[in-house]
Amino acid sequence: FQDDLSTSPELFSPMSPYDVDLPIQTTEDVLFGSQLNQPKELPTDFSSVDLSFLPDITHDNKEQNLSEDGHEMQKELDGSISRNEESGIFMDESSLSYPDTTQPSPEASGTCPPLTPMTPMTPVTPASESSGIVPQLQNIVSTVNLACKLDLKNIALHARNAEYNPKRFAAVIMRIREPRTTALIFSSGKMVCTGAKSEEQSRLAARKYARVVQKLGFPAKFLDFKIQNMVGSCDVRFPIRLEGLVLTHQQFSSYEPELFPGLIYRMVKPRIVLLIFVSGKVVLTGAKERSEIYEAFENIYPILKGFKKAS
Amino acid sequence: MAAQGRCPGCGSAALVEDAHYAQQQLVCAACGCVLAEGLLTTTYAEEVAYSQSTGQKEQLSRCLQRGIRRVQDLCKVLQLPRVFEETAVSYFQRALQHPSFHLVSLEKKELLGGCCVFVTCRQHNWPVTMGTICSLLYAKQELFASVYLSLQKELELSVPALSLADLVKTHLNSFRLFQHTADVPARFVEDKEKMVARTMQIVELASETWLVTGRHPVPIVTAAAFLSWQSLQPAARLTCTLARFCKLAGVDLPPPAHLRLKELLEILLRMASQLAWLRVFNVDKKTVVKYIGDLLQHRIFLLKNAFCLEDGEKQRAVAPGEGSPGSPPAAGGAAQEEGCPSEGKRWLKDGPRPLLPPCLINPRKRLRTAAPSPSDSAITGDEPISDSEIEQYLRGPEEIRAFRKAKAW
Repeated sequence: FQDDLSTSPELFSPMSPYDVDLPIQTTEDVLFGSQLNQPKELPTDFSSVDLSFLPDITHDNKEQNLSEDGHEMQKELDGSISRNEESGIFMDESSLSYPDTTQPSPEASGTCPPLTPMTPMTPVTPASESSGIVPQLQNIVSTVNLACKLDLKNIALHARNAEYNPKRFAAVIMRIREPRTTALIFSSGKMVCTGAKSEEQSRLAARKYARVVQKLGFPAKFLDFKIQNMVGSCDVRFPIRLEGLVLTHQQFSSYEPELFPGLIYRMVKPRIVLLIFVSGKVVLTGAKERSEIYEAFENIYPILKGFKKAS
Repeated sequence: MAAQGRCPGCGSAALVEDAHYAQQQLVCAACGCVLAEGLLTTTYAEEVAYSQSTGQKEQLSRCLQRGIRRVQDLCKVLQLPRVFEETAVSYFQRALQHPSFHLVSLEKKELLGGCCVFVTCRQHNWPVTMGTICSLLYAKQELFASVYLSLQKELELSVPALSLADLVKTHLNSFRLFQHTADVPARFVEDKEKMVARTMQIVELASETWLVTGRHPVPIVTAAAFLSWQSLQPAARLTCTLARFCKLAGVDLPPPAHLRLKELLEILLRMASQLAWLRVFNVDKKTVVKYIGDLLQHRIFLLKNAFCLEDGEKQRAVAPGEGSPGSPPAAGGAAQEEGCPSEGKRWLKDGPRPLLPPCLINPRKRLRTAAPSPSDSAITGDEPISDSEIEQYLRGPEEIRAFRKAKAW
């Protein structure tokens, strides 16, 4: 399987996309901590919860399943606030907002706000001259918890699009055609989805994989969907003197032509890693939100322009 | 201790060496006065070093001690100043305490020592390449690279870029061409100062013409050294190839050196085309070597004329004087760099080509992923998923049976 980190060799994955040891409790987000209150009354009505991922089943089973799921949901809510689909939804909304705007507060603990369609964000053009170049997203890595133990051999036998080689890697590698993505499915029930070109595509793809697993007979859920890494790239259209850049921005740059032809720029705010090449191509990685990529590029563009003139 | 003959107390000569518990004492047998107490020493040696007696070394783990010794050995082999050794050792100790290095394999710890030495050298602008350190440690380059990068990240070290000028000097030091020996005939021997000076000039030229950025430095220095050596006595040396030159000099021929040589010759040829008295000579890439001296002497002027500059306005200003196809295509002010490469091939023989890195002059055809289509951007992520779509990914019962038989699951 290939990542779309097209220009960087294996050596240079500063953000390893397969950090499957990440704890899947999403809301370390301080943004939400103070606002999401412990629900006082646990909701018993789940009719408004999005259950489209559940298989289409007969009426008898439906109610049974609903109550079983309701049970699970209740347990989740008992435990930590964060571990239900709501956090996934809030996460999506948060990627649309900027740090200064206030977060939408949850209306009621049990009900989900209607899902607004996600429009691709246009970068904010500040008063000063902006670059006019918009980085294109190339790869999104996300994780989700299917919350059930999986028999990988079984999955590899029953699914056409799966490969499983336990001696090489302890996960099933599954692919779907639309959106064109790859998933790593582990026996613990955790899944990593890579290759999507947008956050929405990544979520759709992850849901499709969860559906496949469900159809194979496992009681898969869709918990804690989280975007872990976003990779973007663009072209500034002029060659860059990397030797000059590493001199003036020494504390952020690492340029080792013996190892890698590009310069690695570790931007502090936002916390993004940029790979800058002599041809003027720039790869941005390490973002959790689209805005970080745009912001990082707007920060680096004036710096790069300073190196435009050849000696 | 038996030097004193008399007891200061009673004057008796009966002095006895006795042990009070484990302490040796010189005692007067008559009055019991203690004349001298023994040193806290072992029977092996009189002097005990502070570090041995205070257990300072014992505080360091054996692994750390071994690592420090390796770092010190490496510094001695590279003949580095004493200051470097202390800095490298301190980096090494800091690094080993760091959680990400504490438990790595012994092989990696040894590489870590090499990385610390490398970082120290670079911070003092002492030119040493990773290749040198790797060969001294018999290490794999990839492993060294990964250890180096994590060291740089964890300890937050800022490492200045390698200075090419210094690298030229140290690299040429290892060339065995400066003395006449059995392998090196007299006509191949060269004066070191001249060769170093000319190689530096060629490397600077390469740096100005975008041949250095992003590339491994050593092949460039090798190619430049070859050209400068040839140009200092072209008559005798034109027939010598790069491979033979490296064998004579006793250095490795890095594979990219051939490409760098080709690129350098192309630059020199373009410059030669602008030199009035060379135009009559029909210079090609073999004969241009003879004129490198002249080309280097007038390089500023020649570079300006041989290559069109990136700035569109400047280009237009120069164009009328030159009469060469300088004006960019009318495709409204699209960046000069865009206009030039597409016409670059046409201009190869005619006029100036843009001064750009080779990767932009000869762009390799790459599969460009299409920009996201409007239908893609309308995806919300919560669309319903049809059963038929999912079922296409599942195997039918016959298929499963066949697979079971084939793979004997």
